[in-house]
Amino acid sequence: MLRQSGCRQIISEVRGRVILKKRISLTARNISSLVIDSLCNQAKEEDIGVAWLYCDYNARREQTVINMMGAILKRLVGRKIPEDIRKAFQEGRRPLLADLKRMFRIGIASSPQVFICIDALDEFQPGDLPELLESLRDIVRESPKTRIFLTGRPHVGKDIQKYFPKAVAIPISPNQDDIRNYVVMRLDRDIDREAMNDDLRAEIVKVILDKVSNMYVAAYPLSTMYTYQRLL
Amino acid sequence: MAQTTGTHTVTFGDGNDNCGNITDSFNTTVNKFNKDAEIMRWLSPLEPDNRHHDVRTKRFEGVGNWLLEKREFLEWKGGESGADKTVLFCSGNPGVGKSYLRYVVELF
Repeated sequence: MLRQSGCRQIISEVRGRVILKKRISLTARNISSLVIDSLCNQAKEEDIGVAWLYCDYNARREQTVINMMGAILKRLVGRKIPEDIRKAFQEGRRPLLADLKRMFRIGIASSPQVFICIDALDEFQPGDLPELLESLRDIVRESPKTRIFLTGRPHVGKDIQKYFPKAVAIPISPNQDDIRNYVVMRLDRDIDREAMNDDLRAEIVKVILDKVSNMYVAAYPLSTMYTYQRLL
Repeated sequence: MAQTTGTHTVTFGDGNDNCGNITDSFNTTVNKFNKDAEIMRWLSPLEPDNRHHDVRTKRFEGVGNWLLEKREFLEWKGGESGADKTVLFCSGNPGVGKSYLRYVVELF
């Protein structure tokens, strides 16, 4: 009985803390940073270029298409700034989108593979999103070795599909491993350590997982996304 | 044990010349560094590295790792399937984790 009441108390505490926790890390942003780190690790061993951007609602004013594309470019050229870019800089005027696209061709010419990751497209200025996606499409057309990773709320899928009809979508929702990891982490971090032991921890995790159906959802072509959502 | 003795000879030639060369070289390096930083700022004022650092330090390890092993992700990353696999879109609401876990704990 004591054990059970202890378990309930712990679950109750977990419940309170979990509910209060906003935007816990089972989100697309977490996924983006994982993907970026994974690609950066690969870049240590292989000659690949990796660039990323996190769209932020609060930074909309400075996150213009030109600044976004410029940020991707500067990350990709790194320390080896091509002579053409130096020359353009010396001419003294601000780069236009067309300039940046031209610089991309030069800047990524030496990389066998390039990855561009953009997080939270729904936080990007909606009116400018088509121009951003069009610019990315132009880069891919020029350099087919480019791979693009995007995250965002489902509604931006419609815009993405217009420019990349064959994009593949993966819905992000926590699966059982995520729930297990999360619950174990919270228990280890928050609960009075003296009240916890391996058996109790395992029991709490099991009870929670037993109650939860696995949220795993298969990937699907983006073009079928809206049909799929209706089915849900 | 062999006795280690060393005679260090330092020859001062035209000290000013040497110093001048080192200073020139240092200045050239510093100037190039400053110029490069200026070009980077000219390309874009955005600094995504800072944001990434911020996000990754708040990340819970192990959460979301399933994606990195997913077939669609590996195919996209491997880039072997041609233009069809150019874009991978992960869709989710920022609050999905929160609302889902609320559902989890409300079961008790």
